[in-house]
Amino acid sequence: MRGWQGFIVLALILTLGVVGTAGAAELSGVTKTEIHIGQWGPQTGPAAPWGAVARGTGVLFQMINDGGGIHGRKIVYHMFDDQYNPAKTKAGVKELQEREPGIFAWAAGVGTAPGLAVKDYLMEKKIPWVGPSAGSLHWITPPQKYLFAVYPLYYDEAQILVRYLVTKEKKSKFAILYANDEYGKNGLKGALLEMDKHGLKPVLEVPVGRADRDLKSHIMKLKDSGADTVIMWVNPTHAAITMKTAAALKYEPQWVTSSTLSDAPLMSQITGGLWKNVIFAGMIEDPESTSPYMTKYREAFEKYAQKGERWGVFFLAGIGFVEPMVQGLKKAGPNLTRARFVTAMESIKNFKGIMGNVSFDAKTRQGCNEVYVAKTDETGMKTIRLTDWMTVR
Amino acid sequence: MLNFLQIMVSGLAIGSAYGLIALAMVIIYKTSEVLNFAQGDMAVISTFVAYYLLAQQGWPFIAALPAALAFAVLVGMAAEFLFLRRAKKPNLLGLIIITLGFQMILFGFTSWKWGADPKDLPFPVSPFGAFELGGLIIGHLEALTFLLGLVVMAILFLFFRFTKTGVAMKATQQNLAVARIMGIRTRRVLLLAWGLSAAIGCLAGLLLGPAGTVDPYMMWDPALKGFASAVLGGMTSLFGAAVGGYLMGVVENLFGFYVSTEFKSVVPFAIILIVLILKPSGLLARHYVKKV
Repeated sequence: MRGWQGFIVLALILTLGVVGTAGAAELSGVTKTEIHIGQWGPQTGPAAPWGAVARGTGVLFQMINDGGGIHGRKIVYHMFDDQYNPAKTKAGVKELQEREPGIFAWAAGVGTAPGLAVKDYLMEKKIPWVGPSAGSLHWITPPQKYLFAVYPLYYDEAQILVRYLVTKEKKSKFAILYANDEYGKNGLKGALLEMDKHGLKPVLEVPVGRADRDLKSHIMKLKDSGADTVIMWVNPTHAAITMKTAAALKYEPQWVTSSTLSDAPLMSQITGGLWKNVIFAGMIEDPESTSPYMTKYREAFEKYAQKGERWGVFFLAGIGFVEPMVQGLKKAGPNLTRARFVTAMESIKNFKGIMGNVSFDAKTRQGCNEVYVAKTDETGMKTIRLTDWMTVR
Repeated sequence: MLNFLQIMVSGLAIGSAYGLIALAMVIIYKTSEVLNFAQGDMAVISTFVAYYLLAQQGWPFIAALPAALAFAVLVGMAAEFLFLRRAKKPNLLGLIIITLGFQMILFGFTSWKWGADPKDLPFPVSPFGAFELGGLIIGHLEALTFLLGLVVMAILFLFFRFTKTGVAMKATQQNLAVARIMGIRTRRVLLLAWGLSAAIGCLAGLLLGPAGTVDPYMMWDPALKGFASAVLGGMTSLFGAAVGGYLMGVVENLFGFYVSTEFKSVVPFAIILIVLILKPSGLLARHYVKKV
């Protein structure tokens, strides 16, 4: 009898739960005068150098608001510090999403792990998310109706770099130093695939643990392998330790790296000036470019950015990842709903802001596939563009 | 063979830094039996002060070094005076938890004050300068770390063996009440132990900073390995802590080079586990049993 009573109580609770969930209307995040957009980003913690992404987006929105907003609505921007901690990302996103007036759509958001923590939640609730700030395959495997990726895939970046190195620089003796996480493994996968196409194999693959601060054994292995080109898919701190340790051990290969380390002034500063002649993939136009978009954003930066903010690649990435979202909001028209917004995003074709060309359609959710190859100069502070925008396909 | 020797040299150098952190932990443990979980962050904040004076205020290193060390001493003493001493009817676990809280305060302050962007610490000895001995490369910074490690260990050994204050510190650890009855100003001793420990931690931070970057997380890995070194050598033995540091550095580097870099970070945990199972008091500490 007790068993039956328990079963009935459980069934009641479940039924009420289902009814309660079904009954709760999703908050729209839009009012007559406002569009609420959210973003997480590490302002403190180990990934804080990438926190400039969320601040860059804020400046873009301020610029738009001062220009009259979008169809008469101002963007209300909700940014929070998740410290690159997925648990905090999830808690922050849920709190903002479920509190009046809700969030209409989410912009960028640094990191694969934090993004993965909220991806299913947002997709189940049919909340649009544009421009995750990580070039991960997770966003598009399989494509999600409400998720529009802008950041070119690390997987593609690595292929493009290897293709350039093999065909233009005639390199063939590669080693790969990669972060032992999703980011590093995506780069590794792309590099291996492209090498295979050229009948090559790396002489060595060396993973770096997240907490490692002493990389001597790693670098000695690289040196011992005889590799003349090292593809480095690690975070900025590990890149600095790598360069300094290699210099002390008199190991001077051609260093090659991803767009996440494309902020030459920052990298040059933290490597004590060793960031010279490093080949990297660029996904954002050079901050010193004088293109119309860049000039406009520079003016906005000078007007709205906080004191001490740096005009660098990560800050600009926060603008680049969200440019397509702004296009989508404009195209969706004054009667803004999430369904109209998704349709508008799908109609974006060959949009060119400060990143490569961005296009979506009813099936495609990876909007940008273009990166370029560049090299830092002898000072390590400036970059020399080596190719035009390129794709792997 | 050259690779093996190179790994040994590198291992001994990084081991010196681990040894310094282990010594800093042991000094506090020897006087109060408290495991200081704020050790790493005490070193970080002092290293940041050095960075601030050198890079942002343009102080010469000769002035910034003593200033950073003095700041470290103050931080250590403040921890003891403001937090541990205030604990009412403290037991050992309570005091250890207080050090955890202090760690969080320091970490939060450092992140807030200097941000989490990695920074390059200007240092008079180049982190990538090196000299060669028959094909063996010895980094200038590595050599300095090794030498300073030896000097600090020697000074500490002499201090605890031959000075009144050093003996008073040992007496305080063995029996605080009796030490007090015998006229030892135990509160001052504790204050001094914390200050001294923080200064040694600061030295480790200053030696590790230039080899990588200065950021709020810079001591997490070294502090863990310093702790593992102290456990390995014996938490009450200065000599053991130093030897533990060297062993840790060498074993970790040999493992990384010859076995796997992927599982290199696991080595300290494995060592702690094995030592705690086989010889709980550590390799070089005498097993100390309190009689009821």
